[in-house]
Amino acid sequence: MDDPIMVEVKDLHFSRGNTDIFRGVDLQIPLGKITAIMGPSGTGKTTLLKLIGGQLIPDRGQVLIDGQDVHQLSRRSLFKLRRRMGMLFQSGALFSDLDVFENVAFPLRVHTELPNAMVRDIVLMKLQAVGLRGARHLMPSELSGGMARRVALARAVALDPELVLYDEPFVGQDPISMGVLVQLIKKVNQALGLTAVMVSHDIKETLSIADYVYIIADGQVMAHGTPRTLDVNDDAHVRQFVHGEPDGPVPFHYPAPDFYDDILAPAGQFS
Amino acid sequence: MMRHIATLGRATLDIVSSIGRAGLFLFQSIFCLPSREGFHLWIRQMHFVGVMSGAIVLVSGLFIGMVLALQGFTILVSFGADEALGQMVALSLVRELAPVVAALLFAGRAGSALTAEIGLMKATEQLTSMEMIGVDPLRRIVAPRLWAGFVSLPILTVMFGVVGIWGGYLVGVDWLGVYQGSYWSNMQDSVDFVGDVLNGMIKSLVFGLVVTWIAVFQGYDLIPTSEGISRATTRTVVYASLAVLGLDFVLTALMFGDLG
Repeated sequence: MDDPIMVEVKDLHFSRGNTDIFRGVDLQIPLGKITAIMGPSGTGKTTLLKLIGGQLIPDRGQVLIDGQDVHQLSRRSLFKLRRRMGMLFQSGALFSDLDVFENVAFPLRVHTELPNAMVRDIVLMKLQAVGLRGARHLMPSELSGGMARRVALARAVALDPELVLYDEPFVGQDPISMGVLVQLIKKVNQALGLTAVMVSHDIKETLSIADYVYIIADGQVMAHGTPRTLDVNDDAHVRQFVHGEPDGPVPFHYPAPDFYDDILAPAGQFS
Repeated sequence: MMRHIATLGRATLDIVSSIGRAGLFLFQSIFCLPSREGFHLWIRQMHFVGVMSGAIVLVSGLFIGMVLALQGFTILVSFGADEALGQMVALSLVRELAPVVAALLFAGRAGSALTAEIGLMKATEQLTSMEMIGVDPLRRIVAPRLWAGFVSLPILTVMFGVVGIWGGYLVGVDWLGVYQGSYWSNMQDSVDFVGDVLNGMIKSLVFGLVVTWIAVFQGYDLIPTSEGISRATTRTVVYASLAVLGLDFVLTALMFGDLG
């Protein structure tokens, strides 16, 4: 990767209680590209996004965004840095007391002094891009899951951020919304020249739009490369994940005592 | 044995750290520079927290005043002192019942709603997304609610007291036949503005701050699941009620302890 680096994660350690989530993760997110971070459920992908966004503090290691160490910044500078970022949440996280229009207008209203007419133009342009200009007066509770996520996408890019973090953008979508979202993310990214970090475990969709992919498992980067090199990777872990094989190095069964002993255990010794 | 000591220690640490978090939380959210937008948000919360609690406060105030007059009359009349009914109703309302009962009702009506509202915002990632947009939820969500509670409870307390005295009048004068001149003049003579009214208002200011603080902190600090929200809502009502009653004793001892 010779592209300039937008986000650099160095030797990141993080734990919750006694569980180590990350044990030395190193990532480099190139400028203006879509970088996907993939891995089985429960590997802490969302946690990684929260660490990059400065919402969680690592036990050790650094996250540098454009050269600034996110976790050394004061609360004020951190909020300033976040204005250059957009984040698309898994649930959409639209503000339930504002309608679609005001949700998209929110970042503009709080961070700019633009006149109302201009705010309106920008919001309508963003809503047009996600195909929901006609839904501007609906409340979040009246939207379907797919529509909510598209509104959230419009809101995430309302301020034309340099960096967008996508948290599981395809989860729980029907095939049509999924296709729409894949296209939208790709299109928005190209049109605005964004740097995107996408956390996902929808392999097919993610590999189709990502420029570079990191696969995380057991708290470390297990493999990384372009979608094409990962597709032909020989490592058993990578193969199991990329090709969706049910059993392999990541076992199908949660650790349990022997099945035979468990079934035939005498009454009184049930665990 | 060691295990019990360890549990006790852990519980103490948890309590201390939670008090510390709550303190920082209050400090960071209460000192927000007023802005035009902040004013609009505050007005909206005044409506939600204050105006919407008006009905329950008025109705309760009326009934409490009526019950006070009824109970007070039956005792006072046996000493031939039924003329002092106005004094008794007014003093018990102004010094104690209006600040305390209004605060308890406020904790149940507005406090629980605040906790649930903020908790649900947290559970649906609205607070996180606000942070990621670069807006501090402490300023935008918490501060207007905190100030709305702080300002509206004293107003509600005044309403409670006024309606209560009127309720006492209805029962005492209109129904039980106490002379209305003595109802009002005894009240005027005995209720001191600084000693009684102002002290009652100070109480309600303190209660307003404490109840709203507990409510918004419980909402902000809860575990974002449906069980977490229900627990936090319960905790708000329990902690706020206990805090009001405990503080009432302390404040009463400080204000009226040396009266004899």
